[in-house]
Amino acid sequence: MNSIAQKYTHTNNNRILNEITSARDGLASTHQLELAPSIQLPPISQPTDFLRAHTDDATNPDCKIKIAHGTTTLAFRFQGGIIVAVDSRATQGNWIASQTVKKVIEINPFLLGTMAGGAADCQYWETWLGTQCRLHELREKERISVAAASKILGNLVYEYKGMGLSMGTMVCGYTKKEGPTIYYVDSDGTRLKGDLFCVGSGQTFAYGVLDSEYKWDLTIEEALYLGKRSILAATHRDAYSGGSVNLFHVAEEGWVFHGNHNVGDIFYDIKEKEKSFNNVDG
Amino acid sequence: MDIILGIRVQEGTIIAASKAATRGISILKDTDDKTRILNTHNLVAFTGESGDTVHFTEYIQANIQLHTMRENDLELSPSAVASFVRNQLATSLRSRKPYQVNVLLAGYDVKTNTPTLNWIDYLGTQTELPYGAHGYAAFYCSSLLDRHYRTDMNIDEGLKLLDDCLEELERRMPIDFKGCYIKVVDKDGVRDITK
Amino acid sequence: MNSTVASEYSSEVHSTPIEHRFNPYSDNGGTVLGIAGEDFAVLAGDTRQVVGYSINSRYEPKIFNVGDDIVMTANGFAADGAALIDKFKNQLKWYKFDHNGKKLSIKSAARYIQHLLYGKRFFPYYVSTLIAGLDEEGKGAVYSYDPVGSYEKEQCRAGGAAASLIMPFLDNQVNFKNQYVPGTDGKEKRPLRYLSLDEVLQLVKDAFSSATERHIQVGDGLEIFIVTKEGVRVEYYPLKRD
Repeated sequence: MNSIAQKYTHTNNNRILNEITSARDGLASTHQLELAPSIQLPPISQPTDFLRAHTDDATNPDCKIKIAHGTTTLAFRFQGGIIVAVDSRATQGNWIASQTVKKVIEINPFLLGTMAGGAADCQYWETWLGTQCRLHELREKERISVAAASKILGNLVYEYKGMGLSMGTMVCGYTKKEGPTIYYVDSDGTRLKGDLFCVGSGQTFAYGVLDSEYKWDLTIEEALYLGKRSILAATHRDAYSGGSVNLFHVAEEGWVFHGNHNVGDIFYDIKEKEKSFNNVDG
Repeated sequence: MDIILGIRVQEGTIIAASKAATRGISILKDTDDKTRILNTHNLVAFTGESGDTVHFTEYIQANIQLHTMRENDLELSPSAVASFVRNQLATSLRSRKPYQVNVLLAGYDVKTNTPTLNWIDYLGTQTELPYGAHGYAAFYCSSLLDRHYRTDMNIDEGLKLLDDCLEELERRMPIDFKGCYIKVVDKDGVRDITK
Repeated sequence: MNSTVASEYSSEVHSTPIEHRFNPYSDNGGTVLGIAGEDFAVLAGDTRQVVGYSINSRYEPKIFNVGDDIVMTANGFAADGAALIDKFKNQLKWYKFDHNGKKLSIKSAARYIQHLLYGKRFFPYYVSTLIAGLDEEGKGAVYSYDPVGSYEKEQCRAGGAAASLIMPFLDNQVNFKNQYVPGTDGKEKRPLRYLSLDEVLQLVKDAFSSATERHIQVGDGLEIFIVTKEGVRVEYYPLKRD
């Protein structure tokens, strides 16, 4: 009888002890910087194959879950700061899921991130990046550098490498120390600093216009127009890009939004003014 | 399609690494430096899976620098660095997700005053060579180096030979690799002599 | 006596291969639609539930009043949809316990649902999710999601089986896309205006009766949830049952 009681008190003690330790562990882990929140995996041996079979529309066109893809985004550095321009179309296969997507994610008043690849991956992790940047500010009493911010994102996606995340993003910002800075970060873990990037299915078309007319000495007005014009070129040639152009300018005081320009509205104005797009009648 | 070339000469080791960073059909950057300085007399150049390359070499770099700090500024010799890198890659090869990184290690042993070139691939194959390359560069340059390399070459002769290699690559490679960064490791440490 | 008797089934060969791949998904059809007005929002859905060509039920509601004047639907795979909505309702309950019964704004609800969906990024809920309610200014709000949680605030959105039939109709009738002022030679766009609740209800009924005519997975009944400052109200209209 005694032994039974002992057994029960013992396990009971253990349970309480476990609870206390687990509670303490829980507390301790919240103090550490958990790099990523927990994400559930399918209960099978190869989660990556599972995801590929059910969601990847390139290898599996008749799969059930279609993840929004297809984009043109660009960002470039110039004398007056940074220009960020993006289209606004989201496609799922041949279906245009939306023409009004916000592909520029406002991480904070000084940092912008762009969205190419999986819409949810970019939206989720870049807003998450925003919270990490705010935590950095609170800890260090100083705004985070673009290099550090982009590295947080780069390290995060690298942790998930091979799991099926899909993102191609530019982290753009201005700090006293760095000046205007652009980092390209993608889901295979690449992180590159540079002056000019175009990302997405329409990247080549955007590069075509941007490279040919880009100069460091562009005025802000000229640069904004070039950004808009390059995205327009991509929406014209890449079926997966379209909708409207969202324009941003990043300078010392932070980023400024320069409007949403519907492709349907600006196309003929620009064609008329530039005498370009001579493949199109009217 | 990245190019990594190394030539060991009498007084040092020369490394050439292409400047282009390519993703899909676009060159995203033409000033990409595919090398990292590990300590004063060791340089690593890398190619392989994007993401893995930088992550792996920066991990190696950090550990070697940590070693230097812990051991009272006593730096790891080129052969020790090579063993360490090989061991890391060999360990990684048996893991769930191996690093797919190939490296060339240029080093100068200050104890014995000998330059070294170590060739290591992602499988953990390590060889000490007079000259070597990874990827497509090896197909074009190996024969050229076999023909023209001499054991008694000095730095200038080595650079001349390297130029011949790069000239051949520019002539025959189907894609533009945007030129190369050229670096030398000798008794004075690492120097960038890109033209 | 250890000899065994040969089974007469021993020579029988299994002709159908055993399916090894784990497939936890199904498609239960149905379609949903949300429209935001000036001081109201509606969320509507048909009540048919199917598997393949079989109709499981003619009345299986998939739109729910989840509390705090927010209505929600997760259309596609019914089990995932139910799981998602249950999870949200449960978390909302705990939110109220922890925060002294505070009302959850639709903006916060929207962000929270993103986290629920993205939490299963590598084993997604196979659903298109919509929520509707009133925002902090009392204006109608509709939020729409992809299966893994990317979301957007919109004036209107159709989801599910007949989304591709209804969405172009909504673009034209709610946002006046490709409509121009008569006599301006297509130069001047028809100015945007908020639709009244009566106009919106008529649009919803037209959208669903048309979708019923052209999509096999849509029909039987139409349930419309209407959110106004007075609260949530439900209306039901029969659809063709063939």
